[in-house]
Amino acid sequence: MTGFVRRFGTLAALVIIIIAFSIASPGAFGSPSNLINITQQMTLLAIVAIGATVVMAVGEFDLSTASIVSFGGILVVFLFKVGVPAPIACLAVLAAAAVFGAVSGFVVSRFEVLSFIATLAVGTIIGGITFWLCEGATLFGNIPAEFRDIGRGTMLGLPTLTWWLIGVAACAWIILDKVEIGRRLYAIGGNREAARLAGVRIVPNTMFAFIVSAVLSALVGILLTARIGSANPTGGGGYLLSAYAAVFLGMTAFREGEANVPGTLVGAAIIAVIGNGLTILGVSTFLQDIITGTIILAAVLVRRAGKQGA
Amino acid sequence: MLLSIKALEKRYGGARALAGANIDVAAGSVHGLLGENGAGKSTLIKTLSGLVTPDAGEILIDGKPVTIESVRHAEELGFRFIHQELSLVPHFTAVENAFVGRAYPKRGPFIDRAAMARAIAETARDIAPDLPLDVPAARLTTGQKQLVEIIRALIGEPARLVVMDEPTASLSDGEARRLHKAVRRLAERGVAVIFISHRLDEVMEICDRYTVLRNGATAGAGDISYIDRPGLVRLMSGREEAELIARPTPGGSPVALKVSDLPFGDHGSRIAFEIKAGEILGLYGLVGAGRTSLMKIVWGATSHREGTITLEGRALRPGHIGDRIAAGGAYVPEDRRHEGLIVSRTIAENLAIANLKAVRVAPSLPWVGLAALKRRAEEVKSALSVKMSSAFAKPLTLSGGNQQKLLFGRWFGRPIRLLILDEPTRGVDVGAKAEIHAVARRFADEGAAVLMTTSDMDELLALANRVLVLAGGEVTAELTGPSLTPARIIDAAFQHQSRKDPAA
Repeated sequence: MTGFVRRFGTLAALVIIIIAFSIASPGAFGSPSNLINITQQMTLLAIVAIGATVVMAVGEFDLSTASIVSFGGILVVFLFKVGVPAPIACLAVLAAAAVFGAVSGFVVSRFEVLSFIATLAVGTIIGGITFWLCEGATLFGNIPAEFRDIGRGTMLGLPTLTWWLIGVAACAWIILDKVEIGRRLYAIGGNREAARLAGVRIVPNTMFAFIVSAVLSALVGILLTARIGSANPTGGGGYLLSAYAAVFLGMTAFREGEANVPGTLVGAAIIAVIGNGLTILGVSTFLQDIITGTIILAAVLVRRAGKQGA
Repeated sequence: MLLSIKALEKRYGGARALAGANIDVAAGSVHGLLGENGAGKSTLIKTLSGLVTPDAGEILIDGKPVTIESVRHAEELGFRFIHQELSLVPHFTAVENAFVGRAYPKRGPFIDRAAMARAIAETARDIAPDLPLDVPAARLTTGQKQLVEIIRALIGEPARLVVMDEPTASLSDGEARRLHKAVRRLAERGVAVIFISHRLDEVMEICDRYTVLRNGATAGAGDISYIDRPGLVRLMSGREEAELIARPTPGGSPVALKVSDLPFGDHGSRIAFEIKAGEILGLYGLVGAGRTSLMKIVWGATSHREGTITLEGRALRPGHIGDRIAAGGAYVPEDRRHEGLIVSRTIAENLAIANLKAVRVAPSLPWVGLAALKRRAEEVKSALSVKMSSAFAKPLTLSGGNQQKLLFGRWFGRPIRLLILDEPTRGVDVGAKAEIHAVARRFADEGAAVLMTTSDMDELLALANRVLVLAGGEVTAELTGPSLTPARIIDAAFQHQSRKDPAA
């Protein structure tokens, strides 16, 4: 029984929150269109959080994610301005992010620098480059309409953004849970020295994790720009903390204390549902932040209490 | 008698750490506590510090029996412990370090730094006059840090007994001499000192009395002036007539591992040796002799600048574990929890991590199959008779012996040409020990060259065809056949070569 609560307690919490909001506001919150809308609202946060999950699997943090989101948005519009076609511009943005991820991963694994510090530094550098590219201004105009379609509209009845989330989550789940590299990443996160002595190569595997995180953050920057039709040099600022909040909530679900993709999705959904539900109920955004923070704290404390009881 | 310990016993699971240990320590004397690795010295000390509760026996202080309940209680009794791993705050000075965890002198609500400095200067004048007191501990030498620890032991409630665990293990001779003086002055102040050391010459020099532990029991005790060095060695090894199974080196087999000119230890010495296919080479040495770091170099976990390592003629690049694995190498580390098991992952994954290709669903697809993971775990389970409930349970649900088998099982299923074992049965009960020995022998019989280090003399004698003894950064003996006896091994292990003092 306690094992069941431990594995599925966080998921149960999500269901309870959804039911509670549905009762409080049956017409608006509980409507199918609003529930589908939530999946769209959570997409960008969830994709950043999935990147963070991969980095947490190797036991590290990537604090440069928010900077890369902003950077991705600015760079793609910058490339449009100089006449680069949309598909090439997007690939170039993802490649640039991969380079940043590779640098962070290399510094962290090869020189054993704390990832907190290394990615904070890399994030600061990326922030500087972003402001340099846009000269501090919001960029709009020159954005091709077909590019904007990747972040808006619907496909087969679901919002396009939701499809992105489904695709990214499936790929990340396969990488972490189904193929060899995932075993190596979790082995490094579980016991780096043991993994190394068993022949797992720390540097390339850690670099891989940071590259995934950086590329997913840049993808979010691109999708954000496509959705709102402009790019702001601080557009990604809000994603860092809520993405890690989603990962931490997710670590309380399904597996014991390990970052995992299904858990992160539940975590991101909890944050999105609370935001959406409170907005519909007309609660002010300040109060929303206070409530969200309290719920995260409560989830982690409940889990700790459960662990000590076991 | 300040301290008397009578017939102390302590069991850990099936293993007896103490089995009738006695020791009497008088105030104002320096008492040498001797014994080979695992003889029970550490457990005895832990019972004094309140970390371990003995199962039977008595501890008497001034003739009155006491139960030491906690570390705090031991401290109140006036016991002080100076461990091998020093616990100083690196950027604190000697004065600041000496007061950590003690009552600070105060002036009003503020710490009175002048009074702190005065108190320490007074003690230091007595114990170690030339110790710099205003330098951060990080910039002190190991010997000076030891002196800070001694001073620290004398701050606060009056110290009656100071236990020093191998304080000179990593000191140069000059530094060791300075420490010896400090220890003598400590005794002159009426403090009793228990001095644990592997340097027999220094024990003969500075101790008044000795107690030798063997297999958890007191093997001998007395006045240091009535015994000589060979006498102490005899008491420690105690198995001159031990039954010896002749384990001859396999004759015709070719050399598998060849190590030449490899830097070893902290003093610029080199080591070279060969192991034949099917041979088990044992490395014996006291704690701190550099065995583990040598094993790590051979495994490629630590890089090296000079020297070469070849396995069956293939050169192994320094620091490349992958080279060893590709050439048929396997490694079982010393520290199961920190270097061996990935405790957050399942047993099956722990068994598969070194050879993920073996658990693919299809040979060309890097997709890990749950069925394949389970099948592999079941294979290892039956081959090594691992007792486990489920392949997908966590490794810490197993007993120590079964956990250790997982580390062997990790390499199972492909031809092993080199097997490196670092303390293969530490913390494992007797039955599992025999099974693990059988596994190690099986790897050797199948043609692996085995390099093993162990602190357990019985294990060494049970497994090794040949033994290299390391001491003070040198190979002090190579023993095989009839010369492979406990007494010869212990004698070579205690042959501490005097090092040149860099300051002298």
